[in-house]
Amino acid sequence: MPASGIEVLFEGRNLVRLLGGLWTSLWIALSAMAVSVVLGLPMGVLMTSRHRLVKLVLRIYLEAIRVLPQLVLLFVFYFDLTLVTGVNLSGELAALIVFALWGTAEMGDLVRGAISAIPRHQYQSAAALGLRPTQVQFHVVLPQSARRLLPLAVNLVTRMIKTTSLIVLIGVVEVLKVGQQIIDRNRFDFPDAALWVYATIFLLYFLVCFPISRLAQALERKLDL
Amino acid sequence: MELSVLRAYLPAYLQAAEATLAIAGLGLVGSTLLGLVIAVAQYFRWPGARPVTAVYVELSRNTPLVVQLFFLYYGLPKLGLVWGSGVCAVVGLTFLGGSYMAEACRSGLEAVEPHQSQSALALGLGPGPALRHVVLPQALALATPAFTANAIFLIKETSVVSIIAYPDLVYVAKDYIGNDYNTSEALALLVAFYLVILLPVSLGAAAWERRLRHAGFGD
Amino acid sequence: MSTIGLATRPRRAAASTLGLVLAAACLIGLAGCAADSDSGPDTSAAGSSPASATTGSSANFRDVAQIQADGTIRIGVFSDKAPFGSVDAQGDYVGYDIEYGNRIGQDLGVEVEYVPVEAASRVSFLETGKVDLILANFTVTAERAEKVDFLKPYMKVALGVASPESAPITDVAQLAGQKIIVVKGTTAETYLASQYPDYDVIKYDQYTEATSALLDGRGDAWVTDNTEALAWTTQNPGFVTGIASLGPADTIAGAVQKGNTDLAAWLNNELVDLGKEDFFHQDYELTLKSVYGDVVSPDELVVEGGQV
Repeated sequence: MPASGIEVLFEGRNLVRLLGGLWTSLWIALSAMAVSVVLGLPMGVLMTSRHRLVKLVLRIYLEAIRVLPQLVLLFVFYFDLTLVTGVNLSGELAALIVFALWGTAEMGDLVRGAISAIPRHQYQSAAALGLRPTQVQFHVVLPQSARRLLPLAVNLVTRMIKTTSLIVLIGVVEVLKVGQQIIDRNRFDFPDAALWVYATIFLLYFLVCFPISRLAQALERKLDL
Repeated sequence: MELSVLRAYLPAYLQAAEATLAIAGLGLVGSTLLGLVIAVAQYFRWPGARPVTAVYVELSRNTPLVVQLFFLYYGLPKLGLVWGSGVCAVVGLTFLGGSYMAEACRSGLEAVEPHQSQSALALGLGPGPALRHVVLPQALALATPAFTANAIFLIKETSVVSIIAYPDLVYVAKDYIGNDYNTSEALALLVAFYLVILLPVSLGAAAWERRLRHAGFGD
Repeated sequence: MSTIGLATRPRRAAASTLGLVLAAACLIGLAGCAADSDSGPDTSAAGSSPASATTGSSANFRDVAQIQADGTIRIGVFSDKAPFGSVDAQGDYVGYDIEYGNRIGQDLGVEVEYVPVEAASRVSFLETGKVDLILANFTVTAERAEKVDFLKPYMKVALGVASPESAPITDVAQLAGQKIIVVKGTTAETYLASQYPDYDVIKYDQYTEATSALLDGRGDAWVTDNTEALAWTTQNPGFVTGIASLGPADTIAGAVQKGNTDLAAWLNNELVDLGKEDFFHQDYELTLKSVYGDVVSPDELVVEGGQV
């Protein structure tokens, strides 16, 4: 049987290495997501504040982060920030910072949207019942917002994971880089390995993101939005 | 930051911006057409459309463009399909954007009330003309905010095409970083060019959305 | 600790790139808010950026004593450029540069942590202290020497041109009008840009991508180090190195961060010692011989003791 190249995947620790590379991406995505949730919640609440300066500053932050391609942000942080601060910023850390900044902005906007979607009469009724403003937030607004927020936040996780595929461009050894190493290593014996390796990576990303997307859809239906 | 360096780099960036806009434009057209076909096929329940489009939408949405491009550019030649980097970029953007555009069109179509097409049919229009003259114009107007959001998303996504040696803005920036080590100048121009391209679209979209909202009933 | 301030130029410039992002942000923010039909905001505080977090920076390299105290040396190598630096199926680094790196680690008495680099990022990895040493087929050039401190050389190199056997390129003039593949940030790219600016060059980030492109017929020739061209064409039937020596004769050497004289001195002494035992000839036997066979004699490539 002529060598198709698929056997490259099962040679040595190649498959384990690919999965290890994928884990690097996932780890960065999930850590960034955790930071984004923690920082995005207060940010979203603050964005609904009536304080104009607070709103302005947050809005500037949101738009600045969102208008530029994530890759450009990665470049700016990875290549430039180290020169600015003298701090040795590894590719992983630069990626984590950029994704956390971006995720916080997105998350904040989702929270803002969820809070704004609460009908005015909810506030009025709560106030009429004698709840203080903070009580209104914690007992009335946030629980209802959370229902709307959950599917959107889960969706943000898949976006985050997909975006981590960019970090190969700042030299992080993740699943794509491992794939390239395998392809290069087998260049002479299995010239067609590229097809299989890239197809595998395609599939791996799909296998990770698809269930999460489905979860988001299911949540959306279940919470009847 | 040295102005002379910025000036020297400017022509290369202008050329690269053109290249970026070219694939962004073609990718937008491609994904809009694809999205429209899918949305219409689902709307009219064409036989077989559901499973096929469902598989496509899931694949498109749950894989990164970078991986799609690597597969198209470095994987497919092993099957005898050698596409240039520009073609791969447009195909990749269309594959990615099609599912998002389909969603935008779908929500637009569903927002057009059924009696609109019923009335059109009752007035004697065929299904084709009814779609073209009555339903689609309204659906597209309703889908505009989602459409512009997708457009911004797609333009931003073009930033990765340098991995398949397409000479876009990032490609040029990496070139200057790698050869001249003028990291700061190269990055400053990169940021500036993306802002010049994306800001007007973003601001225009925001303004357009506000107009639409104010045109609606109540809140 | 030895302190050498980072050049202030990049620092200032970098701050202004971040500043640009912020300025743009203000623009959007202002435009957005103004359009929100609220009365115009009168906030001037928005301009002062939280992002320009500057700390007092000092040189961020480690000298020999620090490396030995930390117990690990970080060496930047290629991970996709066999036989010089690549990763085998076990995930281990192997190759000519790696043998040298392993020996350095052994003689320093520290562990070696290999960091994969791309051609174009080699200088910035050193500048930013992400690695202590680069051993990634780094050709010595005047421009690079302004940014990093090169050690004594351990290899000789010129450019070479690989092309399909069916349409071999044997003279540089033949490259006119052809599609030429290069890897970004290599001497091949700068040489072509300075000598033949009109040539049609396609640039890739990674070696894998460049060789894939050549195999897939995306270019008519690949210009790269002649060592690399010979190694690759020897192993790839259907391709030849039609031009084995192009451009100036250069050398390949390790490099450390600018000003890390302590580490540089130690490594240069090491190189002289290694020369006494013909270390690089053994390295050649181990890693390159199987690739080059009889096409090349070791003395054409190897430099012992830093003496060309």
